[in-house]
Amino acid sequence: MTVHDATAPDAALGLEGIPHTGEALTADGHLTEPQAEDFKHARTVPQDLLWYKSAVFYEVLCRAFNDSDGNGTGDLRGLADKLDYIQWLGVDCLWLPPFYASPLRDGGYDISDFRAVLPEFGTVDDFVYLLDQAHQRGIRVITDLVLNHTSDAHPWFQESRQHPDGPYGDYYVWSDSDEAYSDARIIFVDTETSNWTYDPVRGQFYWHRFFSHQPDLNYENPEVAEAMLDVLRFWLDIGIDGFRLDAVPYLFEEEGTNCENLPRTHEFLKQCRKVVDDEYPGRVLLAEANQWPADVVEYFGDPDKGGDECHMAFHFPLMPRSFMAVRRESRFPISEILAQTPSIPDGAQWGIFLRNHDELTLEMVTDEERDYMYAEYAKDPRMKANIGIRRRLAPLLDNDSNQMELFTAMLLSLPGSPVLYYGDEIGMGDNIWLGDRDAVRTPMQWSLDRNAGFSRCDPARLYLPAIADPVYGYQAVNVEAQMNNTSSLLHWTRRMLQVRKEHPAFGLGDFTELGSSNPSVLAYLRRHLSPGAPEDLVICVNNLSRFPQPVELNLSDHAGWVPVELTGGVRFPPIGELPYLLTLPGHGFYWFQLTPEEGEGP
Amino acid sequence: MSTRPLHAVESLAGDLRAWLPAQRWFAAKGTDLTDVFVERAVMLADGDPALVHALIDADGERYQLLIGVRDDPPEHLHHCVIGRLGESYAYDATQDGELMAGLLALLDAGADHGGIHWTKEPDVELVTGLRARPIGVEQSNTSIVFGYHYILKLFRRPGPRPNRDVELHRALHRVGSAQIADPIAVVEDDELVFGFAQRYLADAAEGWATATASVRDLLAEGDLHAGEVGGDFAGESSRLGMAVAQVHADLAATMGTEVVSPDRLTEAVEVMHGRLDAVTAEVPELAEFEPMLRAAFDAVRHLRESQPIQQIHGDLHLGQVLRTATGWVLIDFEGEPAALATDRAKTRSPLRDVAGMLRSFDYAAFALLGADDDHQRTTRATEWSDRNRASFCEGYASVAGADPRDQAVLLRAFELDKAVYEVAYEHRNRPDWVRVPLTALRRT
Ligand SMILES: Nc1ncnc2c1ncn2[C@@H]1O[C@H](COP(=O)(O)OP(=O)(O)OP(=O)(O)O)[C@@H](O)[C@H]1O
Ligand SMILES: [Mg+2]
Repeated sequence: MTVHDATAPDAALGLEGIPHTGEALTADGHLTEPQAEDFKHARTVPQDLLWYKSAVFYEVLCRAFNDSDGNGTGDLRGLADKLDYIQWLGVDCLWLPPFYASPLRDGGYDISDFRAVLPEFGTVDDFVYLLDQAHQRGIRVITDLVLNHTSDAHPWFQESRQHPDGPYGDYYVWSDSDEAYSDARIIFVDTETSNWTYDPVRGQFYWHRFFSHQPDLNYENPEVAEAMLDVLRFWLDIGIDGFRLDAVPYLFEEEGTNCENLPRTHEFLKQCRKVVDDEYPGRVLLAEANQWPADVVEYFGDPDKGGDECHMAFHFPLMPRSFMAVRRESRFPISEILAQTPSIPDGAQWGIFLRNHDELTLEMVTDEERDYMYAEYAKDPRMKANIGIRRRLAPLLDNDSNQMELFTAMLLSLPGSPVLYYGDEIGMGDNIWLGDRDAVRTPMQWSLDRNAGFSRCDPARLYLPAIADPVYGYQAVNVEAQMNNTSSLLHWTRRMLQVRKEHPAFGLGDFTELGSSNPSVLAYLRRHLSPGAPEDLVICVNNLSRFPQPVELNLSDHAGWVPVELTGGVRFPPIGELPYLLTLPGHGFYWFQLTPEEGEGP
Repeated sequence: MSTRPLHAVESLAGDLRAWLPAQRWFAAKGTDLTDVFVERAVMLADGDPALVHALIDADGERYQLLIGVRDDPPEHLHHCVIGRLGESYAYDATQDGELMAGLLALLDAGADHGGIHWTKEPDVELVTGLRARPIGVEQSNTSIVFGYHYILKLFRRPGPRPNRDVELHRALHRVGSAQIADPIAVVEDDELVFGFAQRYLADAAEGWATATASVRDLLAEGDLHAGEVGGDFAGESSRLGMAVAQVHADLAATMGTEVVSPDRLTEAVEVMHGRLDAVTAEVPELAEFEPMLRAAFDAVRHLRESQPIQQIHGDLHLGQVLRTATGWVLIDFEGEPAALATDRAKTRSPLRDVAGMLRSFDYAAFALLGADDDHQRTTRATEWSDRNRASFCEGYASVAGADPRDQAVLLRAFELDKAVYEVAYEHRNRPDWVRVPLTALRRT
């Protein structure tokens, strides 16, 4: 039976002619849903269970990267066409924000069908093609998945509101009053006044932690949990390498609590992990929980089991602290947050980043520090968004290449897997005149051709205008020009990724901060021991000050060893009993490998 | 080593007469040494190298020496050779990592050599087998660092037990203070204290270096105010104020506090006048400030409120505080260097520490300025000083419950007295720096 009237559960999807959820209903009222078997599956990459611990991630917005069909919006085929570039750069894994069917009232995080692709991006088949091509190049792909809620256009919600007694009647959190769970805070205070919204169709209130057009799924209902696990399986069967799980703290509600981080939420994550471990080993779950590291570690699960929830979680406060440290010319904002970061299970890894598609979040700093960050990095009020700063890396750093290199060097060497944001490798700018967070979501700048080489369309059709100002515009900043110039930021970044790849210490090693009497210098030791291989010892020294600085490092534990600079291979004087003296130019940094003196030892 | 240690060191007396005055920690600088006696010498390690612990009397001042003896000292020890002992060389053993590493073993073993006791603090478990190295900063004592774990300060001029640095650290440790480096062990005999080991804060940077990095940032900016530049230090100053107030509260809680009537301050006022008499006689530039200073001191006589007194740090400045990844730590509770041991032990107003710190902010602000600096840079430095002094007081007040600036008369007198002391100190030791306290006096 096919339904075409306005009350059909798939009416709001706009996916006629494309396989989608709710094309038909079974005799007992269940929606038929696309199955992974309906599609081809991507070929896989060689098995490596811990790949994510030393991977470099690259966040790319499908909409913003490359437009293959000339309609002004980037798409999956277009992205696939640029995989050679991503491989050349040395990226190990792409992170794609959601590309699912969606009314796009929350940047695609309002998903209306978990099993269909947003038509402007392409189809599931196009995604299979992208994944297959990426895997052929050794590049993995993860994507966002929102577990907590769906769009109100999702056929599940349409069924739920129209047929309270049908199979989906219990898929969402319904109530006759708007009084329950009153201790839960309202997250989007600018737009929402309550976590409950009245639905005139069903005549009841539904619960939503985010926007009112994003009803929360009811995890109390075991069918919902099972249905969401099946969504994971759908994409994992197709071949995806993992998920960034959006907004994980909010899955369950419980009266008398703030409804965040509840034990049953963790239980469900353990279930997700078990599906991955049992059925899809080598795929990863990355938690997005914007909280202090001491609380986020809960999402790695039981340390005695090496972690049994998410493999990875983002480290949020490190990013604003890094900016603060450089502005203050003091290592302590970074040292402090690292000292407060608990150790994590063996199988776990942090995801660290300088910038991403959201604003530079300032929730993880004190009020005083927030004021300071606004004053320093958001001089124009338009640069601010929510509780953060909406700018790209280059303009945040006044386009100073020394600072861009210093920040990137720290990102690549501090503990965690670095996540680069598309365009930052060429020092792209932002457009603070665009609304919301679009400032940092403009088209990738490929060349000085029309529309920065992003699309062949009429410039007026572009989803957002390409940056065109004299400093950051695509005529000045683009991939093609930087490819042709070996001293460009692009080549430098590529070289650094290569160096990082050669040293397991960066991804797998432990971390020890090396103090020094100079507060403007942040130095640390990364050390990785693996059976049968020589110990990998890397020392990173960063000058957070704009002035040249001397530093004396206490390295006498390694007396007799020789530091070899990693980008050029130059041997420095051997370490002796006395403190090791280095001088660094303003915002300079060094990466050294410590090697036993020639002729000595292995 | 074949000879007895006492004889060996005695035979070095001539060399020591030349060597001692060249040491940074030698007190009577610039004077010739006439008499050097060896009070006592104890062998701590025999063989090659050997280690001797010696107490020397140099013109009436007692010094502690650790003397290494090697037949063939490696090159990095050549600079610290004192003299020859037969076929061997005697040298300053504090520069010899190998011999110093042995001290940790003595501490761990609870050794007792010729009446010298090496004693761990209760409940301390030592990590042993660590490398040792001298800390390599200019100081009035000599400190040895073991691995990333411990630092042992060897008092060059050992004083009688009890040692104030040790006692105050113990008291603060008892109440679980987070603002100190925990005490680890003590080296002493029945009469004198020779050394004090503490946890080494490997991630620490000195307050002075942290503060002057901020000043440097401001001065490079030119047209921005102290509150506008990236290197603003006000947050740190405030946290430092909180740490100092916490230490004061902890010291009061464990060692007691007492409220004294205002007339007890007259004694302090007399001391201030006395110091001013002496310093003006020595430094004529001070004369122009004399009326202002005397008036400020005398104002204290009119105070009517009683004053709390207690144990305080006694020599607080930015060089006595360390910034670690977990916050500010105070070190070196020996007390005011110029004071007699009996005076150092006295309880005093905590405002003296505050005054010391406020003066130090001023020093940091003006340290990078040359004598001929323009109005612009001077204005910036003044701004930095004002801003950070205020933040320090705010932080202090947030913990202490009372703002030190509310005690304006007393605080001002303490600060000015400190400035007078600085004028004398700089005049004798670093004449280029006299302008720093003098500029401060001119501003008030
Ligand atoms: N616990 C510690 N951890 C790390 N560094 C320390 C520690 N204690 C002291 N230091 C370093 O050693 C230096 C000298 O320490 P301290 O002030 O105790 O010795 P001192 O001989 O009294 O020095 P000064 O004559 O400069 O007052 C300090 O400035 C500091 O840099
Ligand atoms: Mg929920």
